[in-house]
Amino acid sequence: MIPDTLDGAIILSAIDFFLSFIIIGSIGIVLACFPYLNRLCEISDEDLKSGH
Amino acid sequence: MWNQALVFLQALLDQTGAAKFWWGNAVMIIVGCVMIYLAIAKKYEPFLLVGIGFACITSNVPGSDLILEGGLFNYAYQGVQLLIIPPLIFLGVGAMTDFGPMIANPKLVILGAGAHLGIFVALIGAKAIGFTLNEAGAIGIIGGADGPMAIFVTMKLAPHLLPQISVAAYSYMALMPLIQPPVMKLLTTKTEREMGMPPVRKVTRLEKIVFPIIIAIIVNMFFPGVAPLITMLMLGNLLKEVLMVDRLARTAAGGLMNVITITLTLAIGSTMNADTFVTFNTLLIVFLGLVAFVFGTGSGVLTAKVMNVFMKEKINPLLGSAGIASVPIAARVSHVVANKANPNNFLIYHAMGPNLAGVFGTAISGGILLALLGAQ
Repeated sequence: MIPDTLDGAIILSAIDFFLSFIIIGSIGIVLACFPYLNRLCEISDEDLKSGH
Repeated sequence: MWNQALVFLQALLDQTGAAKFWWGNAVMIIVGCVMIYLAIAKKYEPFLLVGIGFACITSNVPGSDLILEGGLFNYAYQGVQLLIIPPLIFLGVGAMTDFGPMIANPKLVILGAGAHLGIFVALIGAKAIGFTLNEAGAIGIIGGADGPMAIFVTMKLAPHLLPQISVAAYSYMALMPLIQPPVMKLLTTKTEREMGMPPVRKVTRLEKIVFPIIIAIIVNMFFPGVAPLITMLMLGNLLKEVLMVDRLARTAAGGLMNVITITLTLAIGSTMNADTFVTFNTLLIVFLGLVAFVFGTGSGVLTAKVMNVFMKEKINPLLGSAGIASVPIAARVSHVVANKANPNNFLIYHAMGPNLAGVFGTAISGGILLALLGAQ
């Protein structure tokens, strides 16, 4: 897919670096929505520990 | 008769490993001894360096059949070659890790990408000096500072470079407290280093249970190349966070992790044979690894400073260098440098956020690399 040349290395690096920002940023957006999960239910540690 | 005796003695000597011993073996035996010294006297990564050092010494004694096909160390290497060991390491790591700091402060997750410029500087540098693109990709991933990921990507892209890359990756991870601080101080002012951070919110048990499930789905859907590693990381973490299977979590983080660590160190050390290791390419790879770490540290700090231009609530730029995936070493370095500037500053919990995000940053960078190079 990518040519085995210096230009290919630069293109590969630019695409990878740029995409990783986009994807990590998206994961950050998903994590920013996590506090809304707490409206669904609450889990207590004691309930989980007493379950076995 | 005397000549005949000499011929027989010569034939006997030729049967032993001593006849095949060359100066390269002596160099590598010294390297192994230095590793054990660093582990014991300087306490640098003893869990890794003792095993690697010992296997390096024994694999450079010609005549030993431990590294030959059917030998014990060769079987250990099969675990690496078949990509069984790295995912099992991540299972143990996941069972030991609290992702709360990362979940609590999603803004800092972006530093897990910013601190990975070093991967690409090393990749381009390796290509420029004559490595193939696949080899350059494997060398670049040293900059991710993630041992199992470096092994995983190297086995897919350039398995013949595994000894050099794994030794460089693990060695530089241990040396981060020496490598990072000068770069961090060069790129920050004292005022910036003294900056405190507000307390982070408490992350609930529900969030910690949902996190590994969501991440496993995302990674398997979009990054199948690195899915084995991250999936096992998330499984280990789920075992830890549900609290009901603490026996399994303890096994993953304890006994199993110890067995896998011993196997991995023997496998890596056994590949450090002088015939393949004492080459000019090894020196180049070691140099490029250092370049990757320096640029990664710098790019993380600069990413944090760029974020501060746009954010109302500023972050301490030292958190940026924690985006390198060496957990928890990079976070600890950020904390120590900040604490030296301001003794009231305790950044370790904040620094763990980008540090953990760096694991995903390396996985994403590695996954895209494998996909673009067609090496799934």
